[in-house]
Amino acid sequence: MRALLRDLRLYRRLVAMQARSQLQYKANIAIDIGTYFAISTLEFTQIFLLFASFTTLAGWSAGEVALLYGVTSVAFGLAEMFGAGIDGFDEMIRRGDFDRVLLRPVSPFLQVAGSDFRLRRFGRFSQGVLAAVIGLFLLGGLPWRPLDAFVLPLGILSGMFVFLAVMVLGATLCFWTVETTELTNILTYGGREMLSWPLSVYSQSLQRFFLFVVPLAFGTYAPVCYLLGKPLPLGLPEALAFAAPLVALLFASVAATIWGFGVRRYQSTGN
Amino acid sequence: MLRFYLEVARTAFRRQLVYRWANLAGLATNIFFGVIISYVYIALFQANDQARGEVNGFTLHDTLRYIWLVQALIMVVLPFGWFDLMLTIRTGEVVSDLSKPSDFFWYWFSRESGRNVYYLLFRSIPTYLAGMLLFGIGAPTSWDRWLVFGASLFFAAALGVAYRFLYNIIAFWVVEARAAGGFVQLIALFFGGSYVPVVFFPAWLRAINAFLPFSPMFNVPAQVFTSTLTGGPLALALSSQVIWAVILILFARAVTARALTRVVIQGG
Repeated sequence: MRALLRDLRLYRRLVAMQARSQLQYKANIAIDIGTYFAISTLEFTQIFLLFASFTTLAGWSAGEVALLYGVTSVAFGLAEMFGAGIDGFDEMIRRGDFDRVLLRPVSPFLQVAGSDFRLRRFGRFSQGVLAAVIGLFLLGGLPWRPLDAFVLPLGILSGMFVFLAVMVLGATLCFWTVETTELTNILTYGGREMLSWPLSVYSQSLQRFFLFVVPLAFGTYAPVCYLLGKPLPLGLPEALAFAAPLVALLFASVAATIWGFGVRRYQSTGN
Repeated sequence: MLRFYLEVARTAFRRQLVYRWANLAGLATNIFFGVIISYVYIALFQANDQARGEVNGFTLHDTLRYIWLVQALIMVVLPFGWFDLMLTIRTGEVVSDLSKPSDFFWYWFSRESGRNVYYLLFRSIPTYLAGMLLFGIGAPTSWDRWLVFGASLFFAAALGVAYRFLYNIIAFWVVEARAAGGFVQLIALFFGGSYVPVVFFPAWLRAINAFLPFSPMFNVPAQVFTSTLTGGPLALALSSQVIWAVILILFARAVTARALTRVVIQGG
Protein backbone atom coordinates (compact mmCIF):
# COMPACT_ATOMS: atom_id res chain seq x y z
CA MET A 1 0.00 0.00 0.00
CA ARG A 2 2.82 2.36 0.95
CA ALA A 3 4.57 1.46 -2.29
CA LEU A 4 1.43 2.31 -4.26
CA LEU A 5 1.09 5.71 -2.60
CA ARG A 6 4.74 6.43 -3.20
CA ASP A 7 4.39 5.43 -6.85
CA LEU A 8 1.32 7.62 -7.21
CA ARG A 9 3.24 10.56 -5.79
CA LEU A 10 5.94 9.89 -8.35
CA TYR A 11 3.33 9.73 -11.08
CA ARG A 12 1.94 13.06 -10.01
CA ARG A 13 5.44 14.55 -10.12
CA LEU A 14 6.03 13.16 -13.61
CA VAL A 15 2.78 14.67 -14.86
CA ALA A 16 3.46 18.02 -13.22
CA MET A 17 6.95 18.08 -14.69
CA GLN A 18 5.71 17.48 -18.20
CA ALA A 19 2.91 19.98 -17.85
CA ARG A 20 5.41 22.60 -16.68
CA SER A 21 7.79 21.87 -19.51
CA GLN A 22 5.01 22.04 -22.10
CA LEU A 23 3.84 25.31 -20.61
CA GLN A 24 7.26 26.79 -21.30
CA TYR A 25 6.26 27.19 -24.92
CA LYS A 26 3.19 29.23 -24.15
CA ALA A 27 2.30 30.28 -27.68
CA ASN A 28 2.81 26.77 -28.95
CA ILE A 29 0.63 25.13 -26.34
CA ALA A 30 -2.03 27.79 -26.77
CA ILE A 31 -2.16 27.12 -30.50
CA ASP A 32 -2.20 23.36 -29.94
CA ILE A 33 -5.00 23.47 -27.40
CA GLY A 34 -6.87 26.00 -29.51
CA THR A 35 -6.59 23.88 -32.64
CA TYR A 36 -7.67 20.73 -30.88
CA PHE A 37 -10.54 22.62 -29.33
CA ALA A 38 -11.55 23.96 -32.74
CA ILE A 39 -11.40 20.51 -34.29
CA SER A 40 -13.54 19.01 -31.55
CA THR A 41 -15.98 21.90 -31.77
CA LEU A 42 -16.35 21.49 -35.52
CA GLU A 43 -17.24 17.86 -34.98
CA PHE A 44 -19.67 18.94 -32.29
CA THR A 45 -21.57 21.18 -34.68
CA GLN A 46 -22.66 18.03 -36.51
CA ILE A 47 -25.41 17.71 -33.94
CA PHE A 48 -26.94 21.04 -34.79
CA LEU A 49 -26.64 20.45 -38.50
CA LEU A 50 -28.56 17.24 -38.08
CA PHE A 51 -31.28 18.81 -36.03
CA ALA A 52 -31.69 21.48 -38.69
CA SER A 53 -33.15 18.85 -40.99
CA PHE A 54 -34.46 16.30 -38.52
CA THR A 55 -36.62 16.77 -35.48
CA THR A 56 -35.55 14.06 -33.10
CA LEU A 57 -32.99 11.32 -32.68
CA ALA A 58 -34.63 8.28 -31.09
CA GLY A 59 -36.61 10.59 -28.87
CA TRP A 60 -33.64 12.78 -27.94
CA SER A 61 -33.61 16.50 -28.60
CA ALA A 62 -30.60 18.56 -29.70
CA GLY A 63 -29.84 19.75 -26.17
CA GLU A 64 -30.01 16.23 -24.81
CA VAL A 65 -27.69 14.88 -27.49
CA ALA A 66 -25.33 17.80 -26.87
CA LEU A 67 -25.19 16.92 -23.18
CA LEU A 68 -24.45 13.27 -23.96
CA TYR A 69 -21.86 14.28 -26.51
CA GLY A 70 -20.21 16.62 -24.03
CA VAL A 71 -20.09 14.07 -21.21
CA THR A 72 -18.48 11.49 -23.49
CA SER A 73 -15.96 14.02 -24.74
CA VAL A 74 -15.02 14.99 -21.20
CA ALA A 75 -14.42 11.38 -20.17
CA PHE A 76 -12.50 10.67 -23.34
CA GLY A 77 -10.55 13.92 -23.17
CA LEU A 78 -9.37 13.11 -19.66
CA ALA A 79 -8.32 9.64 -20.76
CA GLU A 80 -6.50 11.08 -23.76
CA MET A 81 -4.58 13.52 -21.56
CA PHE A 82 -3.48 11.00 -18.98
CA GLY A 83 -3.24 7.97 -21.24
CA ALA A 84 -0.78 9.38 -23.74
CA GLY A 85 2.01 7.33 -22.21
CA ILE A 86 -0.01 4.14 -22.54
CA ASP A 87 -0.72 5.02 -26.16
CA GLY A 88 2.97 5.36 -26.83
CA PHE A 89 3.79 2.03 -25.24
CA ASP A 90 4.35 0.30 -28.57
CA GLU A 91 7.15 2.76 -29.29
CA MET A 92 8.59 2.11 -25.86
CA ILE A 93 8.74 -1.61 -26.48
CA ARG A 94 10.15 -1.20 -29.96
CA ARG A 95 12.95 1.03 -28.71
CA GLY A 96 13.70 -1.35 -25.88
CA ASP A 97 13.03 1.36 -23.29
CA PHE A 98 10.73 -0.92 -21.37
CA ASP A 99 13.75 -2.84 -20.09
CA ARG A 100 14.90 0.29 -18.34
CA VAL A 101 11.45 0.73 -16.88
CA LEU A 102 11.56 -2.77 -15.43
CA LEU A 103 14.93 -2.15 -13.82
CA ARG A 104 13.54 0.60 -11.63
CA PRO A 105 12.01 -0.20 -8.21
CA VAL A 106 8.81 1.56 -9.19
CA SER A 107 5.57 0.21 -10.61
CA PRO A 108 6.16 -0.29 -14.33
CA PHE A 109 2.60 0.68 -15.16
CA LEU A 110 2.79 4.07 -13.47
CA GLN A 111 6.08 4.73 -15.19
CA VAL A 112 4.55 3.98 -18.57
CA ALA A 113 1.49 6.05 -17.78
CA GLY A 114 3.63 8.89 -16.54
CA SER A 115 5.99 8.79 -19.50
CA ASP A 116 3.82 11.08 -21.55
CA PHE A 117 1.29 13.69 -20.57
CA ARG A 118 -0.27 15.68 -23.38
CA LEU A 119 -1.43 18.99 -22.09
CA ARG A 120 -2.66 19.92 -25.54
CA ARG A 121 -5.39 17.29 -25.29
CA PHE A 122 -6.97 19.66 -22.82
CA GLY A 123 -8.61 21.01 -25.93
CA ARG A 124 -11.01 18.12 -26.22
CA PHE A 125 -11.72 18.12 -22.50
CA SER A 126 -12.71 21.78 -22.56
CA GLN A 127 -14.76 21.26 -25.69
CA GLY A 128 -16.62 18.50 -23.88
CA VAL A 129 -17.35 20.78 -20.96
CA LEU A 130 -18.55 23.47 -23.33
CA ALA A 131 -20.75 20.98 -25.17
CA ALA A 132 -22.32 19.79 -21.94
CA VAL A 133 -22.93 23.36 -20.84
CA ILE A 134 -24.52 24.21 -24.18
CA GLY A 135 -26.67 21.12 -23.88
CA LEU A 136 -27.83 22.09 -20.41
CA PHE A 137 -28.50 25.60 -21.60
CA LEU A 138 -30.62 24.34 -24.48
CA LEU A 139 -32.55 22.14 -22.12
CA GLY A 140 -33.36 25.17 -20.03
CA GLY A 141 -31.70 23.64 -17.01
CA LEU A 142 -32.81 20.41 -15.41
CA PRO A 143 -34.89 19.71 -12.32
CA TRP A 144 -32.04 18.77 -9.99
CA ARG A 145 -32.63 15.89 -7.62
CA PRO A 146 -30.25 15.51 -4.67
CA LEU A 147 -28.35 12.55 -6.12
CA ASP A 148 -27.88 14.19 -9.53
CA ALA A 149 -24.76 16.03 -8.41
CA PHE A 150 -23.02 12.68 -8.00
CA VAL A 151 -24.09 10.68 -10.98
CA LEU A 152 -22.25 12.70 -13.62
CA PRO A 153 -18.83 13.04 -11.95
CA LEU A 154 -18.92 9.38 -10.96
CA GLY A 155 -19.88 8.46 -14.48
CA ILE A 156 -17.24 10.64 -16.11
CA LEU A 157 -14.47 9.31 -13.90
CA SER A 158 -15.59 5.76 -14.52
CA GLY A 159 -15.76 6.42 -18.24
CA MET A 160 -12.24 7.80 -18.13
CA PHE A 161 -10.99 4.68 -16.36
CA VAL A 162 -12.69 2.38 -18.83
CA PHE A 163 -11.12 4.26 -21.75
CA LEU A 164 -7.75 4.04 -20.01
CA ALA A 165 -8.26 0.33 -19.34
CA VAL A 166 -8.97 -0.22 -23.04
CA MET A 167 -5.73 1.58 -23.86
CA VAL A 168 -3.93 -0.65 -21.36
CA LEU A 169 -5.36 -3.75 -23.03
CA GLY A 170 -4.13 -2.44 -26.35
CA ALA A 171 -0.72 -1.72 -24.86
CA THR A 172 -0.55 -5.22 -23.38
CA LEU A 173 -1.08 -6.69 -26.83
CA CYS A 174 2.20 -4.98 -27.76
CA PHE A 175 4.02 -7.58 -25.70
CA TRP A 176 3.12 -10.17 -28.30
CA THR A 177 2.53 -8.39 -31.58
CA VAL A 178 3.84 -5.08 -32.79
CA GLU A 179 1.05 -3.50 -34.86
CA THR A 180 -1.93 -3.07 -32.59
CA THR A 181 -2.65 0.62 -32.32
CA GLU A 182 -5.41 0.59 -34.93
CA LEU A 183 -7.44 -2.00 -33.08
CA THR A 184 -7.35 -0.09 -29.82
CA ASN A 185 -8.17 3.05 -31.80
CA ILE A 186 -11.39 1.46 -32.96
CA LEU A 187 -12.43 0.91 -29.38
CA THR A 188 -11.26 4.27 -28.08
CA TYR A 189 -11.99 6.70 -30.92
CA GLY A 190 -14.75 4.52 -32.27
CA GLY A 191 -16.14 4.03 -28.80
CA ARG A 192 -16.12 7.75 -28.20
CA GLU A 193 -17.96 8.41 -31.46
CA MET A 194 -20.45 5.67 -30.74
CA LEU A 195 -21.12 6.78 -27.19
CA SER A 196 -21.60 10.37 -28.31
CA TRP A 197 -24.99 9.35 -29.70
CA PRO A 198 -27.85 7.74 -27.74
CA LEU A 199 -27.08 4.08 -27.29
CA SER A 200 -30.64 3.17 -28.15
CA VAL A 201 -30.09 3.78 -31.86
CA TYR A 202 -27.71 0.84 -32.13
CA SER A 203 -28.44 -2.85 -32.51
CA GLN A 204 -28.97 -4.99 -29.43
CA SER A 205 -25.62 -6.70 -29.75
CA LEU A 206 -23.75 -3.40 -29.98
CA GLN A 207 -25.59 -2.06 -26.95
CA ARG A 208 -24.77 -5.16 -24.99
CA PHE A 209 -21.14 -4.95 -26.01
CA PHE A 210 -20.68 -1.40 -24.76
CA LEU A 211 -22.54 -2.17 -21.56
CA PHE A 212 -21.20 -5.54 -20.54
CA VAL A 213 -18.00 -6.16 -22.46
CA VAL A 214 -16.38 -2.73 -22.70
CA PRO A 215 -18.62 -0.88 -20.24
CA LEU A 216 -18.19 2.63 -21.61
CA ALA A 217 -21.95 3.15 -21.67
CA PHE A 218 -22.14 2.84 -17.91
CA GLY A 219 -19.89 5.86 -17.56
CA THR A 220 -21.53 8.12 -20.10
CA TYR A 221 -24.90 6.99 -21.40
CA ALA A 222 -26.46 5.58 -18.23
CA PRO A 223 -25.76 8.62 -16.02
CA VAL A 224 -27.06 10.99 -18.69
CA CYS A 225 -30.20 8.88 -19.07
CA TYR A 226 -30.67 9.12 -15.33
CA LEU A 227 -30.21 12.88 -15.37
CA LEU A 228 -32.67 13.35 -18.19
CA GLY A 229 -35.18 11.01 -16.67
CA LYS A 230 -34.98 8.64 -19.60
CA PRO A 231 -35.14 4.85 -19.25
CA LEU A 232 -31.83 3.04 -19.07
CA PRO A 233 -30.91 0.83 -22.01
CA LEU A 234 -32.11 -2.75 -22.19
CA GLY A 235 -34.59 -2.04 -19.44
CA LEU A 236 -31.98 -1.96 -16.71
CA PRO A 237 -33.04 -0.61 -13.30
CA GLU A 238 -32.47 3.10 -12.72
CA ALA A 239 -30.14 2.56 -9.79
CA LEU A 240 -27.56 1.06 -12.11
CA ALA A 241 -26.75 4.55 -13.32
CA PHE A 242 -24.67 4.74 -10.15
CA ALA A 243 -23.02 1.40 -10.81
CA ALA A 244 -20.46 3.01 -13.10
CA PRO A 245 -17.54 3.01 -10.63
CA LEU A 246 -18.08 -0.64 -9.78
CA VAL A 247 -18.27 -1.69 -13.39
CA ALA A 248 -15.23 0.40 -14.28
CA LEU A 249 -13.32 -1.14 -11.38
CA LEU A 250 -14.18 -4.63 -12.58
CA PHE A 251 -13.11 -3.91 -16.12
CA ALA A 252 -9.97 -2.11 -14.99
CA SER A 253 -8.95 -5.03 -12.77
CA VAL A 254 -9.34 -7.39 -15.70
CA ALA A 255 -7.12 -5.10 -17.75
CA ALA A 256 -4.63 -4.80 -14.89
CA THR A 257 -4.43 -8.57 -14.47
CA ILE A 258 -3.76 -9.10 -18.15
CA TRP A 259 -1.17 -6.32 -18.05
CA GLY A 260 0.58 -7.94 -15.09
CA PHE A 261 0.55 -11.23 -16.92
CA GLY A 262 2.17 -9.58 -19.93
CA VAL A 263 4.85 -7.85 -17.87
CA ARG A 264 5.82 -11.07 -16.10
CA ARG A 265 6.14 -13.03 -19.34
CA TYR A 266 7.91 -10.21 -21.15
CA GLN A 267 11.02 -11.12 -23.06
CA SER A 268 12.89 -8.13 -24.26
CA THR A 269 13.43 -7.48 -27.96
CA GLY A 270 17.07 -7.15 -26.99
CA ASN A 271 19.14 -4.03 -27.46
CA MET B 1 8.76 11.54 -68.97
CA LEU B 2 5.32 10.05 -68.81
CA ARG B 3 6.90 6.65 -68.44
CA PHE B 4 8.75 7.96 -65.39
CA TYR B 5 5.58 9.18 -63.73
CA LEU B 6 3.85 5.89 -64.43
CA GLU B 7 6.72 4.04 -62.80
CA VAL B 8 6.55 6.32 -59.78
CA ALA B 9 2.86 5.57 -59.48
CA ARG B 10 3.41 1.87 -59.84
CA THR B 11 6.14 1.88 -57.19
CA ALA B 12 3.94 3.78 -54.79
CA PHE B 13 1.19 1.24 -55.41
CA ARG B 14 3.51 -1.65 -54.76
CA ARG B 15 4.90 -0.07 -51.62
CA GLN B 16 1.44 0.08 -50.15
CA LEU B 17 0.89 -3.60 -50.81
CA VAL B 18 3.25 -4.42 -47.98
CA TYR B 19 1.14 -2.78 -45.31
CA ARG B 20 -1.52 -5.44 -45.30
CA TRP B 21 -2.32 -5.45 -41.59
CA ALA B 22 -2.37 -1.70 -41.29
CA ASN B 23 -4.83 -1.61 -44.16
CA LEU B 24 -7.03 -4.26 -42.58
CA ALA B 25 -7.07 -2.38 -39.30
CA GLY B 26 -7.90 0.84 -41.13
CA LEU B 27 -10.62 -0.97 -43.02
CA ALA B 28 -12.11 -2.16 -39.75
CA THR B 29 -12.08 1.44 -38.54
CA ASN B 30 -13.83 2.69 -41.68
CA ILE B 31 -16.48 -0.01 -41.38
CA PHE B 32 -17.00 0.70 -37.70
CA PHE B 33 -17.59 4.38 -38.33
CA GLY B 34 -19.85 3.54 -41.25
CA VAL B 35 -21.90 1.37 -38.91
CA ILE B 36 -22.21 4.07 -36.26
CA ILE B 37 -23.27 6.75 -38.74
CA SER B 38 -25.73 4.38 -40.40
CA TYR B 39 -27.52 3.65 -37.16
CA VAL B 40 -27.73 7.34 -36.34
CA TYR B 41 -29.39 8.12 -39.66
CA ILE B 42 -31.72 5.15 -39.44
CA ALA B 43 -32.91 6.51 -36.12
CA LEU B 44 -33.17 10.04 -37.49
CA PHE B 45 -35.27 8.94 -40.43
CA GLN B 46 -37.55 6.87 -38.27
CA ALA B 47 -39.06 9.91 -36.69
CA ASN B 48 -39.63 11.47 -40.07
CA ASP B 49 -40.83 8.29 -41.69
CA GLN B 50 -44.49 9.02 -41.54
CA ALA B 51 -44.46 12.21 -43.53
CA ARG B 52 -42.54 11.81 -46.77
CA GLY B 53 -39.86 9.20 -46.31
CA GLU B 54 -37.43 11.72 -47.63
CA VAL B 55 -35.67 14.76 -46.25
CA ASN B 56 -34.33 17.47 -48.57
CA GLY B 57 -34.77 15.04 -51.43
CA PHE B 58 -32.88 12.20 -49.81
CA THR B 59 -34.47 8.95 -48.71
CA LEU B 60 -32.93 6.81 -45.99
CA HIS B 61 -31.63 4.51 -48.69
CA ASP B 62 -29.94 7.40 -50.51
CA THR B 63 -28.44 8.60 -47.24
CA LEU B 64 -27.02 5.21 -46.32
CA ARG B 65 -25.50 4.79 -49.76
CA TYR B 66 -24.06 8.30 -49.51
CA ILE B 67 -22.38 7.86 -46.15
CA TRP B 68 -20.93 4.47 -47.00
CA LEU B 69 -19.56 5.83 -50.25
CA VAL B 70 -17.98 8.80 -48.50
CA GLN B 71 -16.45 6.50 -45.89
CA ALA B 72 -15.11 4.38 -48.73
CA LEU B 73 -13.64 7.37 -50.52
CA ILE B 74 -11.97 9.18 -47.63
CA MET B 75 -8.77 7.19 -47.90
CA VAL B 76 -8.58 7.87 -51.63
CA VAL B 77 -9.51 11.53 -51.79
CA LEU B 78 -8.23 12.94 -48.49
CA PRO B 79 -6.67 10.43 -46.08
CA PHE B 80 -6.71 11.89 -42.64
CA GLY B 81 -3.29 12.59 -41.18
CA TRP B 82 -1.35 12.50 -44.44
CA PHE B 83 1.82 14.46 -43.86
CA ASP B 84 4.32 12.55 -46.01
CA LEU B 85 5.38 15.58 -47.98
CA MET B 86 5.65 17.74 -44.87
CA LEU B 87 7.85 15.11 -43.32
CA THR B 88 10.26 15.11 -46.24
CA ILE B 89 10.50 18.86 -46.00
CA ARG B 90 11.20 18.73 -42.29
CA THR B 91 13.88 16.08 -42.60
CA GLY B 92 15.43 17.66 -45.67
CA GLU B 93 14.71 14.64 -47.87
CA VAL B 94 12.82 16.97 -50.13
CA VAL B 95 16.15 17.98 -51.60
CA SER B 96 16.58 14.62 -53.28
CA ASP B 97 13.05 14.84 -54.66
CA LEU B 98 13.74 18.33 -55.97
CA SER B 99 16.96 17.14 -57.59
CA LYS B 100 15.09 14.60 -59.68
CA PRO B 101 14.80 15.43 -63.37
CA SER B 102 11.05 15.59 -63.06
CA ASP B 103 8.52 18.19 -62.10
CA PHE B 104 8.16 18.27 -58.32
CA PHE B 105 4.42 18.58 -58.31
CA TRP B 106 3.78 15.90 -60.91
CA TYR B 107 6.19 13.61 -59.12
CA TRP B 108 4.13 13.80 -55.98
CA PHE B 109 0.93 13.67 -57.99
CA SER B 110 1.95 10.38 -59.61
CA ARG B 111 3.11 9.01 -56.32
CA GLU B 112 -0.15 9.81 -54.64
CA SER B 113 -2.12 8.55 -57.59
CA GLY B 114 -0.42 5.18 -57.29
CA ARG B 115 -1.30 5.12 -53.63
CA ASN B 116 -4.85 6.17 -54.45
CA VAL B 117 -5.29 3.22 -56.79
CA TYR B 118 -4.18 0.91 -54.02
CA TYR B 119 -6.68 2.37 -51.59
CA LEU B 120 -9.39 2.34 -54.19
CA LEU B 121 -8.96 -1.38 -54.67
CA PHE B 122 -8.18 -2.46 -51.13
CA ARG B 123 -10.07 0.01 -48.99
CA SER B 124 -12.87 1.68 -50.90
CA ILE B 125 -14.30 -1.44 -52.46
CA PRO B 126 -14.20 -3.59 -49.30
CA THR B 127 -15.65 -0.75 -47.23
CA TYR B 128 -18.58 -0.29 -49.55
CA LEU B 129 -19.07 -4.05 -49.83
CA ALA B 130 -19.28 -4.21 -46.05
CA GLY B 131 -21.93 -1.54 -46.14
CA MET B 132 -23.83 -3.52 -48.74
CA LEU B 133 -23.67 -6.64 -46.62
CA LEU B 134 -24.55 -5.00 -43.33
CA PHE B 135 -27.24 -2.59 -44.45
CA GLY B 136 -28.32 -3.85 -47.85
CA ILE B 137 -27.67 -0.58 -49.64
CA GLY B 138 -26.96 -1.89 -53.12
CA ALA B 139 -25.11 -0.08 -55.88
CA PRO B 140 -25.96 1.68 -59.16
CA THR B 141 -27.00 -0.69 -61.90
CA SER B 142 -26.60 1.32 -65.07
CA TRP B 143 -23.32 1.46 -66.96
CA ASP B 144 -23.52 5.13 -67.78
CA ARG B 145 -23.99 5.97 -64.10
CA TRP B 146 -20.77 4.11 -63.31
CA LEU B 147 -18.99 5.91 -66.14
CA VAL B 148 -20.00 9.32 -64.87
CA PHE B 149 -19.05 8.25 -61.37
CA GLY B 150 -15.63 7.15 -62.58
CA ALA B 151 -14.99 10.54 -64.12
CA SER B 152 -16.26 12.29 -61.01
CA LEU B 153 -14.06 10.16 -58.80
CA PHE B 154 -11.03 10.85 -60.95
CA PHE B 155 -11.41 14.60 -60.58
CA ALA B 156 -12.25 14.34 -56.91
CA ALA B 157 -9.08 12.36 -56.32
CA ALA B 158 -7.00 14.83 -58.34
CA LEU B 159 -8.48 17.65 -56.30
CA GLY B 160 -7.69 15.76 -53.13
CA VAL B 161 -4.05 15.30 -54.13
CA ALA B 162 -3.68 18.99 -54.91
CA TYR B 163 -5.26 19.92 -51.57
CA ARG B 164 -3.01 17.53 -49.66
CA PHE B 165 -0.03 18.95 -51.45
CA LEU B 166 -1.03 22.49 -50.54
CA TYR B 167 -1.40 22.06 -46.81
CA ASN B 168 1.82 20.07 -46.70
CA ILE B 169 4.05 22.59 -48.41
CA ILE B 170 3.21 25.09 -45.71
CA ALA B 171 6.16 23.32 -44.14
CA PHE B 172 8.43 25.32 -46.40
CA TRP B 173 7.49 28.32 -44.29
CA VAL B 174 6.28 26.97 -40.95
CA VAL B 175 8.26 23.91 -39.90
CA GLU B 176 5.71 22.40 -37.50
CA ALA B 177 2.34 22.85 -39.08
CA ARG B 178 0.64 19.57 -38.32
CA ALA B 179 -1.98 21.08 -36.07
CA ALA B 180 -2.98 23.60 -38.72
CA GLY B 181 -2.82 20.85 -41.33
CA GLY B 182 -5.12 18.66 -39.30
CA PHE B 183 -7.60 21.48 -38.95
CA VAL B 184 -7.49 22.24 -42.67
CA GLN B 185 -8.15 18.58 -43.41
CA LEU B 186 -11.10 18.56 -41.07
CA ILE B 187 -12.60 21.58 -42.76
CA ALA B 188 -12.41 19.79 -46.08
CA LEU B 189 -13.99 16.65 -44.65
CA PHE B 190 -16.68 18.67 -42.93
CA PHE B 191 -17.71 20.83 -45.87
CA GLY B 192 -17.33 17.91 -48.22
CA GLY B 193 -20.13 16.12 -46.47
CA SER B 194 -18.28 13.36 -44.65
CA TYR B 195 -19.78 14.31 -41.30
CA VAL B 196 -23.21 15.35 -42.43
CA PRO B 197 -24.28 14.98 -46.07
CA VAL B 198 -24.25 18.38 -47.75
CA VAL B 199 -27.88 17.98 -48.68
CA PHE B 200 -28.78 18.28 -44.99
CA PHE B 201 -26.91 21.53 -44.55
CA PRO B 202 -29.12 24.53 -43.77
CA ALA B 203 -29.56 26.84 -46.73
CA TRP B 204 -27.08 29.47 -45.61
CA LEU B 205 -24.34 26.86 -45.12
CA ARG B 206 -25.01 25.36 -48.51
CA ALA B 207 -24.65 28.83 -50.00
CA ILE B 208 -21.22 29.22 -48.40
CA ASN B 209 -20.28 25.71 -49.46
CA ALA B 210 -20.97 26.52 -53.09
CA PHE B 211 -17.89 28.72 -53.11
CA LEU B 212 -15.60 26.14 -51.50
CA PRO B 213 -13.69 23.37 -53.23
CA PHE B 214 -14.77 20.71 -50.77
CA SER B 215 -18.10 19.62 -52.15
CA PRO B 216 -16.36 18.50 -55.37
CA MET B 217 -14.14 16.28 -53.26
CA PHE B 218 -16.72 14.11 -51.56
CA ASN B 219 -20.20 15.37 -52.04
CA VAL B 220 -20.27 15.41 -55.84
CA PRO B 221 -19.02 11.85 -56.38
CA ALA B 222 -21.31 10.67 -53.62
CA GLN B 223 -24.32 12.37 -55.15
CA VAL B 224 -23.42 11.03 -58.60
CA PHE B 225 -23.20 7.56 -57.09
CA THR B 226 -26.55 7.80 -55.36
CA SER B 227 -28.18 9.12 -58.51
CA THR B 228 -29.40 12.20 -56.67
CA LEU B 229 -27.74 14.46 -59.23
CA THR B 230 -29.04 14.40 -62.77
CA GLY B 231 -29.23 16.56 -65.84
CA GLY B 232 -28.33 20.22 -65.46
CA PRO B 233 -27.14 20.21 -61.84
CA LEU B 234 -25.05 17.14 -62.61
CA ALA B 235 -23.24 18.83 -65.47
CA LEU B 236 -22.71 21.88 -63.28
CA ALA B 237 -21.30 19.78 -60.44
CA LEU B 238 -18.95 17.88 -62.71
CA SER B 239 -17.61 21.05 -64.27
CA SER B 240 -17.10 22.53 -60.81
CA GLN B 241 -14.93 19.53 -60.04
CA VAL B 242 -12.82 20.07 -63.14
CA ILE B 243 -12.55 23.80 -62.52
CA TRP B 244 -11.56 23.46 -58.88
CA ALA B 245 -9.07 20.73 -59.71
CA VAL B 246 -7.41 22.99 -62.26
CA ILE B 247 -7.44 25.96 -59.88
CA LEU B 248 -5.91 24.03 -56.99
CA ILE B 249 -3.29 22.37 -59.16
CA LEU B 250 -2.23 25.69 -60.64
CA PHE B 251 -2.19 27.23 -57.17
CA ALA B 252 -0.11 24.37 -55.80
CA ARG B 253 2.39 24.76 -58.59
CA ALA B 254 2.57 28.50 -58.03
CA VAL B 255 3.13 28.12 -54.30
CA THR B 256 5.81 25.51 -54.89
CA ALA B 257 7.62 27.75 -57.33
CA ARG B 258 7.50 30.56 -54.79
CA ALA B 259 8.76 28.27 -52.03
CA LEU B 260 11.65 27.03 -54.10
CA THR B 261 13.01 30.50 -54.69
CA ARG B 262 13.72 31.00 -51.03
CA VAL B 263 14.06 27.62 -49.40
CA VAL B 264 16.76 26.95 -46.83
CA ILE B 265 17.67 23.32 -46.29
CA GLN B 266 18.29 22.28 -42.75
CA GLY B 267 20.66 19.50 -41.95
CA GLY B 268 23.39 17.90 -43.97
